[in-house]
Formats: sequence, C-alpha cells, structure tokens
Amino acid sequence: MRKSPVVGALALLLLAGAAHADTSAKKIAFSNNYAGNSWRQAMLKSYDIITKKAVADGIVAASDVFTTADQEVPTQAAQIQNLILQGYDAIVINAGSPDALNGAVKQACDAGIVVVSFDGIVTEPCAYRVVVDFKAMGKEQVTQMAKFQPKGGNLLEIRGLAGTSIDEEIHAGILEGIAANPQFKIVNSVTGNWDQTTAQKAVATVLPSLPDIVGVVDQGGDGYGAAQAFAAAGKPRPTIILGNRQDELAWWKEQKAKDGYQTWSASIAPGVSSLAFWVAQQVLDGRTDIPHDLLVPYLAFTQEDFEAALPNIPEGGVATHEYTQADAIEAIKANIK
Amino acid sequence: MSAIRTLLARPWIWSYIGALIVWLAAITFTGGYGAGGMITAALSLAVFMVIVGIGQMFVITLGPGNVDLSLPANIGLASAVAMKVMGGSNSMIAVGLIAALASGMAVGAFNYLLIRALRIPPIIATLSSSFIVLSIDIAYGRGLQIKPPPAFADFTNIQFFGVPILAIGGAIFAFLAGIALQRMIYGRSVLAIGQNMRAAWLAGIPVERIRFFTYTLSGALGGINGALLAGYFRGASVDIGNEYLLSSIAVVVIGGTSVAGGKANVPGIWGAALFLVLLLTMLNTFGVSAGVRLLLTGLIIVGVITAAGGQKALR
Repeated sequence: MRKSPVVGALALLLLAGAAHADTSAKKIAFSNNYAGNSWRQAMLKSYDIITKKAVADGIVAASDVFTTADQEVPTQAAQIQNLILQGYDAIVINAGSPDALNGAVKQACDAGIVVVSFDGIVTEPCAYRVVVDFKAMGKEQVTQMAKFQPKGGNLLEIRGLAGTSIDEEIHAGILEGIAANPQFKIVNSVTGNWDQTTAQKAVATVLPSLPDIVGVVDQGGDGYGAAQAFAAAGKPRPTIILGNRQDELAWWKEQKAKDGYQTWSASIAPGVSSLAFWVAQQVLDGRTDIPHDLLVPYLAFTQEDFEAALPNIPEGGVATHEYTQADAIEAIKANIK
Repeated sequence: MSAIRTLLARPWIWSYIGALIVWLAAITFTGGYGAGGMITAALSLAVFMVIVGIGQMFVITLGPGNVDLSLPANIGLASAVAMKVMGGSNSMIAVGLIAALASGMAVGAFNYLLIRALRIPPIIATLSSSFIVLSIDIAYGRGLQIKPPPAFADFTNIQFFGVPILAIGGAIFAFLAGIALQRMIYGRSVLAIGQNMRAAWLAGIPVERIRFFTYTLSGALGGINGALLAGYFRGASVDIGNEYLLSSIAVVVIGGTSVAGGKANVPGIWGAALFLVLLLTMLNTFGVSAGVRLLLTGLIIVGVITAAGGQKALR
C-alpha cells in the first residue's frame, strides 16, 4: 500500500503522456511531386512551419520533405520505394496520379507504413485521403456565376493538370453546376495546369476563335493569366472565378475600385499539407477510428471579405491556413459518423 | 516553275507550309472567324521560342552532342532576377534587363566551364547545371510571382496593326542572326566547327573561344527571354521557361537545321515557332482533350520533320 501513490503517479504520467509519447520516436516523410508554383511553395512552407515545431516539441522524431521536380509519376513511385527502405513510419503524399502510384503505396502499407495522401490523392484503399471537396467547389463556381451573370451565356473552362484527381473532381463539379444552370454553356475548355503562364498562353490561342464569353470557370492559379489574355486580345473582361492567389485578389480589388467588378474566389488552402501531417501523426498515435476518407472544407473569399484577407497574403503568394493538431482532431471528429 | 523548285529545296520552307496548313485548318473550323486574332496571338507567343531557338541553333550547329538543356532553368532564374531588380519601378527597367542578361550569360559561361574544364559531355553538363540553377531560383524567388513595372508590362503588349512590337523586334533580331551565321566570321566558324571540329582547328579557327562564345550567347538569349516573358506574362515564376526545353530544340529541328551540326538556317526558326503555336491554337480551337492534344502534337511534329527530311533525300 505504501507504494501505491508512486504507482498511481506513474500510471497517471503514462496516461497523460500517451497522446504524445507514442509518436516521439516516429519518422514521417513527405513525398511531393512538384514545387514550381506559388501554391506548392506555400504548401511546403506551411508544412515546414508546422513540422519543424512538432519535431522541436518532441511530438515526432523527424519530418523530412522529398520533392521530385519533374511531375513524373515513375520518379515519385521510385521515391516512395526509397522512403520505404529508409524506414519511415509514415509517408505523407501529394501524388502526381490518383492510381499510378497505388503499387508503391500498397508496398508501403504492407511494410506497416501509414500513408496519408492529400491534394493529389491516391485511390489505394489502405491509404488515407485528406480531400478537399473539389466537386462542391466546382459546382459552387457555377452557382456563384449565376449570381453575377443571371442571364447566362458562354463560359470558358480552364482545366488543371490532366490526369489528376483534382482536375477530374472540379471538372465534374462544374458540369454538375452547368446541368443545374442550363442558361450557361461551356464553349471551349483549355488546359492551364493551375499555372498563370500556361493558362494565359492557352487562353490567348483559343480566344480569337471564341464567341462572346461572359465567364471563366477554372481551378485556381489560372484566373490572373486568363484576365491578362482577355486584355491582350482586346476582348471585354468576363466574370473570372479566382483562386485565392495574391495577384488575383489584388487584380480583383483593382477592378472593384474601377467599376465595382464582382466575382468569387476559392481554392484548397496550401496549409492542408499540415493537416495531412497531423492525420499521419494521429494514426501513428494508435487511433484506429479515423476514416480513410477525410473531407475538409475549401477556402473561399467573397466580394465582402476578400479585401480584409489580402494584406495577410505574401506578395505573389497564395492565401493559406496552417492547421494545428487540435484542428486535425476536430476535422477527424467531423468525419466520424 | 524553277522558282518554286528552288523554294521547295530550301529546308526551312516546310515549317512555313506547316504553319499555313494548321492555320487554314483552324479558320476553316471557325468559318473564318478570328483569323487575324490567331495570327496576332501566334506572333506574340512565337517570338519567345524564336529568341531561345536562335541561341539553341548556334549551339546545336557546333556539332553532334552540343545542346543547351539549361534554358528552362536559366529563363526562370533570369525572370526572377529581372523582376526583383526592377522592383516594380519604371526607372529600373534598363538595369533589370541588364541584370537578366548578366544572369543568363553567367549560366551560359558556367555551362561551358563544366564542358571544358571538367570534360563533361554538353548534354550532361547543361542538364546538371539546370538543376543547380533551378535550385538557386527556388531559393531566390521562393516560387512567388513578382510583378513587372507597369511601363515594361505595357511595352510587351504594344501592337502595330495587329503585329506585336516584340515580334517586330524578334524579326529584326532573326535577320541580324542570319547575317551573323552566313556572312560573319563568327557564324562561318560555328558552321565549320560543326562540320569537322578537328579540321576547323587545323584551319586556324579558335575552336574553344567560339564554343565559349556560343554557349554564353545561348545563355544570354535565355536571360533576355526570361525578362521579356516575365513582362508579357505579368510576373516571374520558377516554371515560366519549362516549355522552352522541348520547343527551343523543336523549332531548330523543324526549321531545317541539322541536328548533326554544321548546317543551320535562321528563317526556319520563325516558321517552326509559328507552326508550333498555330498547332496549339488549332487543337485548342477544336477543343480536343489534353491527352489527344499531346498525342496529335507529337504525331504532327514527326510528320513535318519526316516531310522535310524526305525532300532532302530526293535532292
């Protein structure tokens, strides 16, 4: 009986420490397939901020980022195989393809490694997917467009990187929105790869042949390029849905000041990488009740609130939000039915 | 008749025929609508391919194995350097352009250093230097879109009767490059080295000096291209030059320059650049999906090169 307070204290200590201690020896790797645009840079930065602190706080032992620069799926598959051999406990992935990496991901799962994909997700069932509701985002674009252009008309669609789940989901959402708003018609769709330069080029080549366009539906990162292409071709400025980039919101502010221009802006917050990290940490912590498909909301700005957000976005960067461990636990809770 | 035959015998004519065919196909599809706008858009985008294409042409003409794969990274870095130095201020435009030129020349000179001092084959040397330059750019530019000064941005959009000012500048530059290639000691030396490096050396041509100059020239053109791209596309970015790895080589080859070196021509580069942009215009106008577009682009480029090559064999 004399020992009991000590034992009790020890037991208490163990219980209290359980949430952290379990993952303090774990190593988490991040496999990323692209770093060349402002969104990806913000994604890496958010990830860096959150994980550096997590390592310093002793929540995890190591967190390393591996980026393949060339957007090639085979390169990323080989990289994942290397990460397996290097003995990481969890791999966070922004995948270049929804299914082409499934083989490598399965190997990782079989080796007992926790795989959490986000943004560009993988379909392999053993992996976790932190998914922004891109389909809803695509559909909402058309709903918003109907507010600004009630009469309807011709739309130009700008697609993202071909073959990715994001591109397919947003596109499907836009089609759903068009079905619900038959006053709109997509007269052409070009590939912008979420990149201003690519989008501007693609829109510039297609604009001369198009009838009058009332609106542009897109995927983020391409709105400013589209605006430039319309201006360069001397065509009237349509309602362009934006994607939370600083230059897009600054352009919006400029246009709004000029003639009350109205539009809407939405994108996945690059900081969702930090959410994926916390999900991996929670799984490593021994939680078994986490659904493999986690739906998280997208980040949107409206006519009313975008100007307040603008000063917080770095020049040339993109609006983001860094998620904490508590945010992740909250998001997981929201997904448990 | 003989005039037509002489014209057809020119290796560069095929790129212009190709450009004309895809343009006609595109305007047939739209019923003639937007024909002029397509030419204007094609001229504005083609000029960037022409600038780096001419640099690449001189490098490729140096002989087998010579190629500059560092252009995309070089362009990306120069675009960031130019925009950062300009800092959005109209008074710094000239300084920014010089800085971009210097950045490009430094990359070109570094390429040559790797090739000459470390005896690395040009393909490997320029590719590895491109990774180094890319990393510098990511660290330096942080993937941010830095905006050009308003006067510089407006300048890149000036048009005279539908002809962009950059395209006029590009045409003058191509004309001068043509003279340099065919009429000046530098150009003749490049051609001689491409035909037989040892013979050129024995004939007293300063082979290494010419090679150094050529790689630096290609780098410098990449640098200028980066600054102009950042102006036209309203901002520098890491991957602003990505497209120019393939297209700088493609315009050289489609334009009728020999990949084996020693034989080059400048007019074909303009034709090939217009052909590539109009091809994209046509496929975008048809509204084909991304996959089909890439497939058709590949097939059509193979077709044009085969057509041009087949004609040569007949001679």
